[in-house]
Amino acid sequence: MKAKNFSFYFGIGLLSFIVLVAAFAPWLTHYDPIGQDLLHTLASPNSHHWLGTDNLGRDVLTRIIYGARIDLSIGVLAVLFPFILGTTLGLISGWRGGWFDAILMRIVDTTIAFPFYVLAIALVFVVGAGPKSIIIAISLVGWVAYCRIIRAAVLVAKELDYVHAAKLSGLPTGRILRRHILPNVISQAIVFSMSDIVLSILAIVSLGYLGLGVPIPTAEWGSMIQEGQAYILQQWWIPTIPGIMVVIVGFSLSLIGDGLVKRLNK
Amino acid sequence: MTSPLLSVRDLHVEIETNRGLLKAIRGISMDVNAGESIGIVGESGSGKSITLKAILGLLPPNARVTKGEIFVEGRSLNGMSDKERRAILAEKIGIVFQDAIAALNPVLTVGTQISEIPHRRLGWSKAKSHERAIELMTLVGIPEAEKRLKVYPHQLSGGLRQRVAIAIALSGNPKIIFCDEPTTALDVTIQAQVLRLLEDLRAKENTGIVFVTHDLAVVNEICEKVNVMYAGRFVERGTVEQTFQDPTHPYAYSLLKSAPDMEHPVERLFSIQGEAPDLTKPTIGCPFAPRCFAASEECLATEPELRHVHESETACHHATNFLSQLNAGQA
Repeated sequence: MKAKNFSFYFGIGLLSFIVLVAAFAPWLTHYDPIGQDLLHTLASPNSHHWLGTDNLGRDVLTRIIYGARIDLSIGVLAVLFPFILGTTLGLISGWRGGWFDAILMRIVDTTIAFPFYVLAIALVFVVGAGPKSIIIAISLVGWVAYCRIIRAAVLVAKELDYVHAAKLSGLPTGRILRRHILPNVISQAIVFSMSDIVLSILAIVSLGYLGLGVPIPTAEWGSMIQEGQAYILQQWWIPTIPGIMVVIVGFSLSLIGDGLVKRLNK
Repeated sequence: MTSPLLSVRDLHVEIETNRGLLKAIRGISMDVNAGESIGIVGESGSGKSITLKAILGLLPPNARVTKGEIFVEGRSLNGMSDKERRAILAEKIGIVFQDAIAALNPVLTVGTQISEIPHRRLGWSKAKSHERAIELMTLVGIPEAEKRLKVYPHQLSGGLRQRVAIAIALSGNPKIIFCDEPTTALDVTIQAQVLRLLEDLRAKENTGIVFVTHDLAVVNEICEKVNVMYAGRFVERGTVEQTFQDPTHPYAYSLLKSAPDMEHPVERLFSIQGEAPDLTKPTIGCPFAPRCFAASEECLATEPELRHVHESETACHHATNFLSQLNAGQA
């Protein structure tokens, strides 16, 4: 039992650590993430700058920490909106069936067929670069997965005896959906959302790297990799550490996701 | 005479299957009065559960009622909107399913589920619904009701779960309870307890009970009247006493004969030859004829209708009180 859950708690611990450090950033580092110090550019790690400084003399560790704030919060928001939208639509679609379901599922198919980055790039041009367009772009594409997962689970759940009984006993449909269906189908969507956060963080970082994400000079892992790649031969840690951070966050979320699957299947 | 609580007339149900259209129910009529307990027995696939589901409007999407009328206290449900229909059925009928674990919502406490209908549908206050839940728990014989209201279904034993399911079925003060094999998943001692509970409810609350099962012993125990179902029709109906003592349909007779007898144990139990007919194909003549010991030319040609034979109603051309004859022959 303990051994099985170790990876789950390890994932939670790792992620909590990163979240806490990001949350308390101003108390943990006195450097400004965008404050330049042109006298100490491209410094190697030392006692003042644990991870050195970049080409504009900014403390790399500070930028990593502040970058976590941006990447994690956008990552979570970009999952929260599609989660809510997809779950709601999936619930109605699965329950009602009929023309609503038929039309919605065709929209889902179309959305899945549409390449995400093309959509994201188009949106950035329309809405302008920044967190808002990233969240809109990911939400527009991301809801379909939740919609499908929930719809499939509802199709099974609505034939269960207690749902029949609730229906028969004359309870209002809204209540049946909220109290009897939703709590029993949502777990799968929650598990998926863990890996979905990884994907959305990856998307944010990729967009940042392409210069379509959060505008510079704001500290963000993707743009840090992009800016740092010119120095990869001398100061390899400048572009590498943000990449490693993405891996660590993804790793811990995967552990949490796996742990949830195990717990829910018990 | 007042009209019966529930009345079903000439109900037909068809199910769309990938082998073709399956005529699952082919003309069923029955009446249920207050305080009456009616059994529906038949083998798997004879249409017992579908009958209940059709009445309640819980048919799966591939099945539909093609003909027939349902009356609740004399009011026809035909031509009503789904909402009206559901409201009427909800008020009059409660249902208990076979599998109590599937019949309870795993994420809500027992108390929430029992007080849900009084609170939400009858519009009672939280406190009053809570009182009612305790009352119902006590009524169905769950000790320490107050404490048990706070537990989740998985924390209860099978017997207690089924009692909770019965309490939920009763929470809307129904006039009739539909029981879809409620004791099949329980072991024998618990089964006896649940049956006694249902029997008590009928006596105390004057609740009508419709009991679907394939277990003849259970019907014998709890029901006054029995409908024997075969291939989507009732083939024999009468009082339990009459039908069990002296069946008039060859199928009912064979069924009873195939049940083990404690007083006269035999090496090998009697079994009915052949298998139930494929209802996706049109039936010509009596559907039981190919398996029947009394079948004649007539049986293969025309399907018999229910008619009075002795004290029962039977759908058989050669209906007679088989056991009495047999005994008379032996004497």
